Amino acid sequence: MPLDRRILYHFDWQIAVLTLVLALIGLLAVISASYGGPRHHGLPPLVVRQLIWIGVGAVVMVFAALFDYRALSRYAYVIYLGSLTILGLVLLAGHSTGGARRWLNLGVIQLEPSELVKLALIIVVAQLFKERPLAGGLRLRHLAAPTACVAVPMLMIIKEPDLGSALLLVLVFATLVFAAGLNLRTLGAILLAVALAAPVAWHYLKPYQRERIVSFIDPQADPLGAGYHIIQSEIAVGSGGPWGKGFLQGTQGRLNFLPEQTTDFIFSVFAEEFGFAGSLALLAVYALLISHGLWIARQTRDRFGAILALGVVATVFWQVTINIGMAAGILPVVGITLPLVSYGGSSLIVMMAELGLLISVNVRRFLF
Amino acid sequence: MISGRRHERRRRIGLLSLIVLGLFAVIALRLVMLTMFEGPRLSGLARAEHTETVELNAARGPIVDRYGTPLALSAESRSVFARPGVLLRRSSAAQRAELARVLNLTQGKLEARLATRAHFVWLARQIEPNVAQAVEGLNLAGVGSVPEFKRFYPERNLAAVVVGMAGVDSQGLSGVELRYDSLIRGAALKLEFEHDARGRPLLDNPAALKEAQAGARVMLTIDAAIQALAENELSRSVRLFGAKRGTVVVLDPFTGEVLAMAAAAPHEQAGSSRLHEPAIETTFEPGSTIKGLLAAVALEDRVVDPHTKLFCENGQMKLGSLTIHDHGAHQWLDLGQIVAVSSNIGAAKIALALGSDRYFKGLRAFGLGRPTGIDLRGETAGLLRPAAAWKPIELANHGFGQGLAVTPLQLAVAYAALANGGLVMRPYVVKEAYDPFGRLIFRRTPRIARRAISPVTAHETSVLLRGVVESANGTGRLAGIQNVGVAGKTGTAQMVDPRTRAYYRDRLVASFVGFLPAEDPRLVILVVLEDVGHGRFGGLVAAPVFRTIALPTLERLRIAPRPAPQVTAGYESAELLPLGSLAGSRPPVPPDDRSIRPGSGHAETPAFTGLSLRQALALGRRLGLDVEAVGSGYVVAQNPPPKTPLATLRRVEIELQQDVNRLADDARGVSPPTRGTASPSGRVRGAP
Repeated sequence: MPLDRRILYHFDWQIAVLTLVLALIGLLAVISASYGGPRHHGLPPLVVRQLIWIGVGAVVMVFAALFDYRALSRYAYVIYLGSLTILGLVLLAGHSTGGARRWLNLGVIQLEPSELVKLALIIVVAQLFKERPLAGGLRLRHLAAPTACVAVPMLMIIKEPDLGSALLLVLVFATLVFAAGLNLRTLGAILLAVALAAPVAWHYLKPYQRERIVSFIDPQADPLGAGYHIIQSEIAVGSGGPWGKGFLQGTQGRLNFLPEQTTDFIFSVFAEEFGFAGSLALLAVYALLISHGLWIARQTRDRFGAILALGVVATVFWQVTINIGMAAGILPVVGITLPLVSYGGSSLIVMMAELGLLISVNVRRFLF
Repeated sequence: MISGRRHERRRRIGLLSLIVLGLFAVIALRLVMLTMFEGPRLSGLARAEHTETVELNAARGPIVDRYGTPLALSAESRSVFARPGVLLRRSSAAQRAELARVLNLTQGKLEARLATRAHFVWLARQIEPNVAQAVEGLNLAGVGSVPEFKRFYPERNLAAVVVGMAGVDSQGLSGVELRYDSLIRGAALKLEFEHDARGRPLLDNPAALKEAQAGARVMLTIDAAIQALAENELSRSVRLFGAKRGTVVVLDPFTGEVLAMAAAAPHEQAGSSRLHEPAIETTFEPGSTIKGLLAAVALEDRVVDPHTKLFCENGQMKLGSLTIHDHGAHQWLDLGQIVAVSSNIGAAKIALALGSDRYFKGLRAFGLGRPTGIDLRGETAGLLRPAAAWKPIELANHGFGQGLAVTPLQLAVAYAALANGGLVMRPYVVKEAYDPFGRLIFRRTPRIARRAISPVTAHETSVLLRGVVESANGTGRLAGIQNVGVAGKTGTAQMVDPRTRAYYRDRLVASFVGFLPAEDPRLVILVVLEDVGHGRFGGLVAAPVFRTIALPTLERLRIAPRPAPQVTAGYESAELLPLGSLAGSRPPVPPDDRSIRPGSGHAETPAFTGLSLRQALALGRRLGLDVEAVGSGYVVAQNPPPKTPLATLRRVEIELQQDVNRLADDARGVSPPTRGTASPSGRVRGAP
């Protein structure tokens, strides 16, 4: 693929810089979360690995940006089926931690296929909605095939089980369907159906999943049990105060009071040390990234590219909202990472690839 | 149409932007709530979650008398702590058995103390430094020792009622120790032990949050010498006259400073005297001592003048159902004679002439029926019922001191006002306080509570009161001192049976309160002997105690009597004289050749070894050295060593240990001075 000079000329530095800033904030937070006190010297292995992921992710991001995203349209179904296959492998031969089979052991690294599936799904949905809808918008019958495309990986992910990732698939899908032009009456009908189905879904939830919802509503009901995560997270965030305790001065994450302090609750670690000011700054960086992404989705004339861009933005937005909402105690605890900040290779690299595609969409606006 | 649909997509993306904005705003608001409004509470939770704070009390500041004689000191001892988790993980049962042996605990007891989820437990508190050293010598992980301070009273029970006591956690429990606790306590050393969520300690050693600062040195108004004298004389007479309790208060009438405040009971349990201050807590019917105040109020209100004569009914007067008796059958007496012979009939007539209202107001002005405001806790107001409630008979009774109750201090303060030109001073026991660096941080200056009577009336009253002591038929003649004008009043009140509310016939409260020299009063002395038997009149039992306290005190304060050369000889010595020389009980000099006096040629540190703490402190004081003591018992080591030139030296550190062998030695020869009638050497401030 010959490199068009216009790509370099129109390269989206804003996304590249915001991504790098977030990755570095993440690195600081991971250092804090794995800091072993003044007696431990050198970087913890976790930090070294995260540093490597950021490097790898940056390379992947550059390639994705240079890559002509329209090729994805051609291979959308291949990519989709490929990701489903890998997901299936996890269920058959996955590596389990904490009772869930979510990882595939590749020797050097452990791959979390659900992260790949998120990207694959965005691509396939963009492909399905590539054609402009008829007047009156998308109706139920237009949603049948896309819904089936989401339902299969979603059910497989629920089976892992990984409720957070499944929920994210649904939210991103819903966002895309809405943007692609869902008929508003149809939307109303769907919302009604979801409201009616909720009690049934409750019945099928695992006990620990129900506990999380109950404990979200009343954390003090079982402060050392299910409510523990929420309380500990609120303590960490709240004790940071307006200006925070300072880098490496936090206690709640480092002393293991916070659960999953390098992944799901990384925000609490960050908020404890950098306070309200730091949290607001972090939120602002995400807001800049998201608003820029929305702007790209608006400006792009190519529908496939627009939906692809929106899918990336929706993924970032919903992950940020759910993750911080959970850390701040206004949403129930579900395992969703903070994009670019949480520790973890799969999610970091896939997220950077997605943002690279966002750049790719943006620079190619000018090509046709 | 095409562009229309594209516009639809843009519109929807715009809508999505609003949703993004809305949800982010909700999150930001929630973060504001958590960090700003709930921040402090959540910070507290965070802190509580991972730290355990242990406070180690600082050394309590010394309490000293007005000349610097220490009455309460703190000695360093050590306390051994354990971090149970660490100790149990990193030691063998045999090692712990050894630890138990060193600490003189049974192993079961030690293990029981370690069987806890706490991250910190005390194994032994305030023990000898050498035991703590032995524990450290075992080199066990999770065991350590820290300095703690032990309160001790080098002069034993001297001024115990004023000094009060402090508990094992350095908290003031009574007396000055309680009232001035915030000054004396100092700032505790705060240690913080951090642990993680699994209870694993983060650091082996605790982090010091706050350094300790020793407490302030509190200087009393008490003169230890006068206090010792008062205590000795009081307990002697309590025993002699079979009183259940005795109280002495010595005041400086001009300032309200309490020079001595003593209480004695014949069979008092050791230590109980530290918890109560009878001089401000107990009340008694003042009896005839009220007549001095009655006369003053009557003179002030011009109801009588010193020459008014009243008919005293030949010793018996009926008033309604009440018959008032005098000791003798008196006819016409003037005011001075009524006070001097303590005529109840005369007093009743004056009270009736005054009327309830004016008499009540007069007594209130002298401070009866309300606390004096002394700087000690637990003072009672006494009992003075409002005048409106008095029937005429009760008014007459109040005239000779029945139907009301006063604390010993109230009565002393009221007489101090007579001595002080009519001004009632607020009494106090703490003069000054100094921080550990010697800087003055607190000073109490004399405060006038109110004026009770005019200076003229005060003078007229003091003339009347001199008649009690100096006239031929005065009831207080035994309080008289040759060549010194003494003004005072005797009192003998019947005690009230609390069950029947009737007077006991043969249980009396004998008292004497007076001031001297009458022309220029420097001392007010009150003596109360409670529950003495029949015939023990105030003039017979309390007045002599007044005199035996007053005599040496006058000499100590170098208050020269009126010209009388044979007594004043030798008064020219420059400093305060030790009391012993006149009290007849010269302090025993320890039979020890080390009792060197400065300027006698010895310019080297003496050997402190073998001395008790009291002896060592006394020796240090004689040499003008600051003695810093560690441990308790007997001196085993000192720094600098003996025979160091004294010239440059300001302080000596001594280490003490309890040692049974030493005690045996002492029984044979060098015994520490014990508290008895003789005042121990330490109590007397010698000329340096």
